[in-house]
Amino acid sequence: MDFPQNMSMEDAFALAEAEAKLNAALQESKERFDKAEMPNRLNEDWRFGRPHVYAKEWAALFTHNENSFEQIRLENGGEAAARLTAEDDDLRQTEMLMPTIGSDALLALHLKSFGDGYALYIEEDTKEPIRLGYVTRSVCAPATFIMVAPGVKAEVDINYGCLESGAIFATCNVQVAEGAELRLRTHGHGESTGGRCMLITNIQNMGGKVAHLTSYEGLRWVREETVAEIYAAGSETKLFSANKLGGDAVLDQHTKQIHHVGGATSDLLYKNVLDDNATATFAGNIYVAPGAHNTDAYQSNRNLMLSEDATVNSLPGLEILADKVRCSHGSASGPMDEEQLFYLLSRGIPKYEAHQLIAEGFLHEAEEKFRS
Amino acid sequence: MDETPFQMDTRGAFSMPENHKFDAGYGLTEETIDYICDAKGEPDWLRQFRKDALRKFNEMPMPYHWAPEGIRNVDFENFRYYLSHGATPSRNWDEVPEDMKRTFERLGVPEQERAFLAGVDAQYDSETAYTNMREELQKQGVIFVNSTEGLKEYEHIFRPWFGKVIPVGDNKFSALNHAAFSGGSFIYVPKGVKLTQPLQAYFRINSESMGQFERTLIIADEGAELMYMEGCTAPQYDSATLHSGVVELVALKGAKIQYVTVQNWSTNVYNLVIQRGLAMEDAEIRWIDCNLGSGLTMKYPAVVLQGRRARGEVVSISLAHSGQLQDTGARMIHAAPETTSNIVAKSISIGEGRASYRGEVKVLKGMKGCKNNTECDALLINPASRTDTYPAITVNGNASAVQHEASVSQVDEEMLFYLQQRGLTRAQAMSLAVNGFINDLVKEFPMEYSVELRRLIDLEMEDSIG
Repeated sequence: MDFPQNMSMEDAFALAEAEAKLNAALQESKERFDKAEMPNRLNEDWRFGRPHVYAKEWAALFTHNENSFEQIRLENGGEAAARLTAEDDDLRQTEMLMPTIGSDALLALHLKSFGDGYALYIEEDTKEPIRLGYVTRSVCAPATFIMVAPGVKAEVDINYGCLESGAIFATCNVQVAEGAELRLRTHGHGESTGGRCMLITNIQNMGGKVAHLTSYEGLRWVREETVAEIYAAGSETKLFSANKLGGDAVLDQHTKQIHHVGGATSDLLYKNVLDDNATATFAGNIYVAPGAHNTDAYQSNRNLMLSEDATVNSLPGLEILADKVRCSHGSASGPMDEEQLFYLLSRGIPKYEAHQLIAEGFLHEAEEKFRS
Repeated sequence: MDETPFQMDTRGAFSMPENHKFDAGYGLTEETIDYICDAKGEPDWLRQFRKDALRKFNEMPMPYHWAPEGIRNVDFENFRYYLSHGATPSRNWDEVPEDMKRTFERLGVPEQERAFLAGVDAQYDSETAYTNMREELQKQGVIFVNSTEGLKEYEHIFRPWFGKVIPVGDNKFSALNHAAFSGGSFIYVPKGVKLTQPLQAYFRINSESMGQFERTLIIADEGAELMYMEGCTAPQYDSATLHSGVVELVALKGAKIQYVTVQNWSTNVYNLVIQRGLAMEDAEIRWIDCNLGSGLTMKYPAVVLQGRRARGEVVSISLAHSGQLQDTGARMIHAAPETTSNIVAKSISIGEGRASYRGEVKVLKGMKGCKNNTECDALLINPASRTDTYPAITVNGNASAVQHEASVSQVDEEMLFYLQQRGLTRAQAMSLAVNGFINDLVKEFPMEYSVELRRLIDLEMEDSIG
């Protein structure tokens, strides 16, 4: 190892130690990846997902390529934001302990490329949303950590951009303290239909209010895993998603609302509009742990089908091990409402635009609820 | 609680001494199959068929990746695959061996037959002890025999449909049944014949470690209608018992089949049953299913809607007590345009009981105007009760509408308070509330069954409050 000439003995030791830790962590991730199985229909309780479409390709992409960002952007970060480095041991540790509801191999794959992204320690109300942007033309694996201090109101927008056939594999760890409020918007987009995006989000609600909205457009395929862990009574967690899919796009979404304690509320609304050959899979689960009485949890998946060749798989699940629980889930998939269409046509709006309007209106509900 | 109007139903909780002419022993091998074939006097094609199925069964993996944990305890070596008194059923109760006759009398089967049934098939361990049907039905050409006789006497009707709705390789338990099947009914209702009274089968497991693999095939020819009812009981043993039946229904153009099950196995029984119906044009298949007993039930009645405007329905009630896992549900495959289906499932979890709904609804590509509605409601009685819902819905294309709703709730404390205030005990109030919860579904069962059902639920509830 080469040390800068004017470095003190102590600093040199610290640097050497950090490097050793990093190498150990990398080694550990590699071993974890080698040991874990890639996702397939037998090891993920997520039937109808499309791992055969992306799993192999993904492993190859992130094994042979280094992180390569076209751009990492931060706006309105102020004092809250700190750029991540590969030596960020605590955060790496947090990420290593991140629970996954999908395949452990995928998370290990991300850890191998760990080293860039942002940590946001939000201790004051945000006036403007803090905006983060990660853009790549090849592959990148950004990690974002968001911690909102007690009583603080925060808004964060994260943008993932895949240029050409870029691939983004992002993780996002969120912790919201008691009395805090966070509105988090995640948007993934591609400029053509070659981009790919995989997103693992873990939200820990310690007694605050969280609203999370995801949306994707122009990507070839997207895999989203979102887990909300609820640790305090009186907390509120809301998950939304609104997507318009066309072409051969594949969207795999897996969510889990985990109520560790009672007296909390969670709500989920995932909406998709599907055109052409698009396929959307939603596998959701509400888990109410033993003793988490007086839980209110809801889950709803709605799909609007615009084409004969579009496919929807919907698996809304409930696992309730407590008493005095109010839980419900719903799933509905169907064509456009003829009456709505007729109304618009009768007012002289051309058919194509009427379709667009109805689709927008359909998705708007999720957006509106997120904002409210 | 002496003023309680409820009585414990212990009619199924007894056993007769074992007295078998044929016993294939423990485990399933090619020799076991030879033994079964020899005992039943089966043709060579069937022997080969069973052996092929056995090979498939051994090759296929257990569905550990999705099935409930409890299934890991099933040990196929520890079951007895064929126990019988002889393969020919009697047509007259007087000819039925004494212990079997006494069993069915205690269960009230002959009495019900006289009262309201068009025909009865009573199975005792592996073979049917008694089959009979009213004479006028025989004259109309209705066939109602056990599966062995069906394959022997009516091979030309049975064989073309045998294993067509549920193929051998469909899953591990289907392969198991194809290899070891014995008993069950074969029913054929000719064109346009409408049965006004139901046919009934009663499945009784008497012996310890028994594996019962009945196989039922019901064919309703064009425009025919029938209702079939199935009841099950077994005595409580320390060792596990396996019930893994296969039921295939074929409803040809415009036919209607209703299949009613009231399952009250003892809790040492693994109840792993495959039920599937094929509904052709304008046909209708309804599964009316009630699971009260068994330690682990995995049962998802299915309808493949194969013809235009076919209709499928599943009405399901399940009740899970401590030590019970009711993993029930429904499957609807929309394989033709304008087909409709409806699923209504209600479950009640008591004590540490766990009730799960697992369902699949599929609208295949290019099928227009299909509609499905699914509702599942769960009621949790005690703090340690558990309920799960695992639906899977696949829709292809923009010309069908599918919706699914599920809810979980408790018995309203205020309601209980109100009833108790008016002089009911807490158990009675709870029982009334539970009966109210499933009331609209109980009505779907034939009168005689719904009375029985209410009574069973009353006394199941009684244990749980305290």
